[in-house]
Amino acid sequence: MKKNKKEEAVMSHAPVETQEELPIIEFSDVEMEFYMGTEKIDGLKEFFIKFIKGKIDRTKKKVLDGISFNVKKGESVAIIGHNGAGKSTTLKIITGILKPTKGSVKVRGNVAPLLNLGAGFDFEATAKENIYLNGAILGHSKKELEKKYNDIVEFSELHDYMNVPLKNFSSGMVARLGFAIAIDVDPDILLIDEVLAVGDENFRQKCAKKISELKEKGATFIVVSHSMGQIKQLCQRAIWIENSKLVADGPVDEICAKYEEYCRNNKH
Amino acid sequence: MNTSKSPKFQRLKIFFSNIKREFIKNKNIVGQLVKRNVKVQYRNSAIGILWTVLNPLLNMLVMYLVFGTIFGYSSDKTYVLYLLCGNIIFNTMRGATTQSMTSLVNNRGLLTKNKIAFQVFPLSCNISAIVNLAFSYIALLIVMMVVDTSCPFMHVFSLNMFKAILMIPAFFLFIYGVSLVLAAAYVYFRDILHYYNIFLTLWMYMTPIFYKTNTISGNFGKFFVMILKCNPMVHFVEYFRAVTYRMIAETSITDTSAEAVKQVAAIKDSVIIDTNLLTLYGWGIAFFVAGLLIFSASKRNFMYKI
Repeated sequence: MKKNKKEEAVMSHAPVETQEELPIIEFSDVEMEFYMGTEKIDGLKEFFIKFIKGKIDRTKKKVLDGISFNVKKGESVAIIGHNGAGKSTTLKIITGILKPTKGSVKVRGNVAPLLNLGAGFDFEATAKENIYLNGAILGHSKKELEKKYNDIVEFSELHDYMNVPLKNFSSGMVARLGFAIAIDVDPDILLIDEVLAVGDENFRQKCAKKISELKEKGATFIVVSHSMGQIKQLCQRAIWIENSKLVADGPVDEICAKYEEYCRNNKH
Repeated sequence: MNTSKSPKFQRLKIFFSNIKREFIKNKNIVGQLVKRNVKVQYRNSAIGILWTVLNPLLNMLVMYLVFGTIFGYSSDKTYVLYLLCGNIIFNTMRGATTQSMTSLVNNRGLLTKNKIAFQVFPLSCNISAIVNLAFSYIALLIVMMVVDTSCPFMHVFSLNMFKAILMIPAFFLFIYGVSLVLAAAYVYFRDILHYYNIFLTLWMYMTPIFYKTNTISGNFGKFFVMILKCNPMVHFVEYFRAVTYRMIAETSITDTSAEAVKQVAAIKDSVIIDTNLLTLYGWGIAFFVAGLLIFSASKRNFMYKI
């Protein structure tokens, strides 16, 4: 494998209290590339055949191209754009799941990703076991979880179902449990990717309340959503990414209006 | 790259606090995963965790009936012990490596949505394999007591048990090293699973689990033993056997008749590959370091291939 001798991508996660005045998220000239062909080769046999034929696809696709923005502490920022524009990739870079190919990313503070609720759920296990497992994956220690356990159960409103295997839960109940675990973290930065439409109306209101509570505490929000109403309600600022490039960055109403107009004009 | 304004020592402090946080986080994840792995195996069976003890016993019984008859060992009651020793060690390795191999890809959903260290998954598979080994050891103790009725408790709490525990870290390093390589390879090439299954069969026959090495004679025998010595599993199996089987097999023959002496000599002969802890740790550390290097080198592209 060829070594990447490009500029080393820099990631750092430093505690927030030491650098209060600096932006909490700093993206400077971030570039992200994926190999296009990698998905196609799954086996060693295939690899050798294609290797001998010289048919290994090494074309790269830029998912993010020179993205730069700063987010201040306490800000709520929406990321909008079409499917595949690079929104989720941006969130993954903020979380630290992906490292940028080029450019530097600085994140100051702990990040709570609400990217996929209940991704770590084991449906054979009981709800209680899942709270501990999923909580561990989100980075909590066992002691923290023991303290938080009651809050999580209360928030999810699933008191009577804690010893029931998750496979007997309805999908709404699973989502509620997932949200209850993910939200109970007191994070500096909360990443939300299309997960707010969870549960019934009551529960949704409860989530909205919890989010505004966190906002008051000074948490920073990064939201990815296709629902303009939700974005306008939650954020003051929006970043529009289109075709892996940053198109616009500014107040949420202005950017959303531009985006909606662009969508209307590009309908086929 | 932006230069940080904070002084050096503060950066160092942040660096160490990050390491500590990572460690605590990963410790809890591994703990939870191990718990799940051990529980999940027999979750839907009535006798639950007892299966972990019964499974190797039943396995041993089948092998005893089949190979005992084929090789004519069935008159020797210590043969069950011989089988069980080899079986436990080999199956632990087999379980740990096959589970670890698919662990990264199977937990794709978790890895692409959360920031988790990749090593967490193979590591938890290996720890649960060692936990299962402990359960199998209970099965072994039961068989030991049945085979050697003279003074069963002497063996249970003897130096030999301590020696068996001493080899576990080396064994763990070995299977973890193998697991890391396989887990990394599986991310890139999914058909490795099939090749590895075939390789495992070959590996099993190249490890004296049901046959005794002293039964292979002549030039071919010498050549065969030479090959066996290059197989790390042979060393682990033979060491484990030396501290459990051989010792009991020898003491279970108490009379001093000529035939008994011959039998004792035969038992001594049956472990012809002499090995020691140093060799085991050598293999263990070598595989661990190699596995770690390969895993870390291929880690950077996991996210795109997984």
